[in-house]
Amino acid sequence: MDIMLIAELVLNGVFVGLMYALVSLGIVLIYKTSGLVNLAQGALAMTGAYITWVIGAYFGVPIWLSIPAAVVLMFFGGVLIERSALRRMIGQPVIMAIMLTLGIEIALRGLLPGVFGAAVKKLDIGVSPAPLFLGDILINQSIMIGGVVSLALILASLAFFNSRYGIVMRAVADDQTASWSVGIRVEKAIAVAWGLAAVSATGAGILWGATQGVDWSLSLLLIKALAIAILGGLDSIPGVILAGLIVGVAESLATGLIDPVVKASTRDIVASVIILATLLFKPHGLFGHEHIERV
Amino acid sequence: MKMDRRSFLAGTAATLTVPGMTGKVYAQEKIVRFSFPQDFTKIYTFVTSEYSQGQRDYITLVNERGGIGGYKIVADVSDHANDLPRAIEAYERGKREGMVLIDPLSTPVARALVPRALEDKINLITAFSGRSDAADGTVFPYVLPLSINYWTQAALIIENFSKMEKGDLKGKKIVFVHIDTPFGKEPLPILEVLAKRLGFTLIPFPYTPPGNDQSAIWPQVRRAQPDFVIFWGAGVGQTVALTEAFRNGLKMDRVSSSVWLSESDMDVVGRANAKGVMKVEPCVGGREPKVIKDILSDVVGKGKGAGPEGKVGTAYYNYGVQMASLMVEGVRMAVQKAPNGPVTGPWLNEGLTSIKDFTAEGMLPPTTVTKADHQGGGMGRIAQWDGNKFVPITNWYTAFQDVVWDEIRKYAEEFKKTGK
Repeated sequence: MDIMLIAELVLNGVFVGLMYALVSLGIVLIYKTSGLVNLAQGALAMTGAYITWVIGAYFGVPIWLSIPAAVVLMFFGGVLIERSALRRMIGQPVIMAIMLTLGIEIALRGLLPGVFGAAVKKLDIGVSPAPLFLGDILINQSIMIGGVVSLALILASLAFFNSRYGIVMRAVADDQTASWSVGIRVEKAIAVAWGLAAVSATGAGILWGATQGVDWSLSLLLIKALAIAILGGLDSIPGVILAGLIVGVAESLATGLIDPVVKASTRDIVASVIILATLLFKPHGLFGHEHIERV
Repeated sequence: MKMDRRSFLAGTAATLTVPGMTGKVYAQEKIVRFSFPQDFTKIYTFVTSEYSQGQRDYITLVNERGGIGGYKIVADVSDHANDLPRAIEAYERGKREGMVLIDPLSTPVARALVPRALEDKINLITAFSGRSDAADGTVFPYVLPLSINYWTQAALIIENFSKMEKGDLKGKKIVFVHIDTPFGKEPLPILEVLAKRLGFTLIPFPYTPPGNDQSAIWPQVRRAQPDFVIFWGAGVGQTVALTEAFRNGLKMDRVSSSVWLSESDMDVVGRANAKGVMKVEPCVGGREPKVIKDILSDVVGKGKGAGPEGKVGTAYYNYGVQMASLMVEGVRMAVQKAPNGPVTGPWLNEGLTSIKDFTAEGMLPPTTVTKADHQGGGMGRIAQWDGNKFVPITNWYTAFQDVVWDEIRKYAEEFKKTGK
């Protein structure tokens, strides 16, 4: 096996994994504050990319302006989802709220291609597709920039959780009843978490959209995001980074090493195996907290 | 796109909410009913909208000119979303309403409908989809691809590569990057036989559907140092494949694909970046063909177009016109044989299998459909992207039909024995 090919696959996997991790970040943010697994995160990424494209294509807004506009719109979109749908689920079994997020996923996946057309759309954020070689290794500029931006956004979210409002959100995550009792507006904190999850989804959607084009298939990022969130620990942001790297590199190496042997594509199987193995052998993931309830 | 969806939704709503309407409108006229349940919202979305627009515009053109021998064509359009229960429901609804032809434009749907169509004697059109072995009309009398199947397309590509190498592919390396589905794997048997016959090395690289991330595939392709690359997918898989080919510095004029490549794909990849890439063309693209000019003046120009004018003449729009013109030619032949009908599946089947050297006024390669050959002769050509449009670089031709028909007969025989 060509060592340079393996190096190239690992490098690709690192960047791709970080891009997956940005999608996963939204799942972790919502789980940390509300204890819910958001199954609409893939569709939110697709929605963010569609909105960015729509602002540019329909209103002629340049990309440097349509990105922040989409981010703001998606933040309020996330808040709106929490306010209008999820909050009504308070007092209901958790599984109902999770099913609701799945419903949102399915609805968005059908709605946006239905309204704006299902053909793949070009989202040009100014990254050159021209080949860039470092010695014998190809640097895919699109995923390199995507990976670096993703890492920066994940680190920014870590910093946010150390800010004043971040501490409020951590308190909510820790104990909602105790937070209520000390005057924290728990509903608002959860709504903000949904807004931030939508923002991270938008960031990921734009980066992936710039790499592959914008279409419904962006919503498929959910599977990778779930694998990363479960492996990293559903409530751990640092876990998202490490798990993202593991999933990205494992997928990339599987494509290079296993596919030629089995003569089939194993890329998606990697994510499934990681989900299964984590749940079987380390249910709280690499960095997840084990919640102990006193009875 | 807006207008297109609006007109599609309006048409669908009319069809679904007032099921008897079309029947009433034409109650006093002689009609031939086609059913076009297609996937507008799920997997085949990359092609359906433009393909359907082309079909409907052509049928409008025919009807506006008085129909065929006094018969008007009624086209019922609906969305099956690549969902088998919905497709079967649409099939049964069409059967109740008297359809004599159905075009689902979906491989899984077409495969599911084959036994019903054979039993009900309703003509199932499987253009660029369905079973490649349906070209054998002796086994599949009511399944009609009417177009070059994937085996023929692969053969055409290899023949073109061979011509580019002055007839000698010995020792050459051809990489086949394909979506890891039955559709993606379909050309493999032909390519393997041709690799042995012509002496080239075939290296397949499967990718996970739908192909939105191929970043780990193409470095391997590049390192294999291929002489030629065939990429085989649809929708986002095609645009990602081309983008990655460009990112990896592969020579685009050594890269070729099937019929599933369009102008809108080039927009996503970047028109200049994709310059040189080749594809199989089953019919003439663009607005030059007389039929397309007629549609522009007599249908679109009179505000009767089924979608945005900008889509008229795109690759997939013209595929739709191609297929509609063959269906209508089948009606013409059927009317010639039995002017008073009755209009049934077998009546139309007689017409469809009598199509001879039909070109739709120069838009198609000469197409002859017989009771034995439902592919229509297997002619296509290769077109190359010049940065702005696809330009033909070969004449209409066919290639390695002995190999293709060996495969067709092998699988058709299997179907005859096992029903699979």
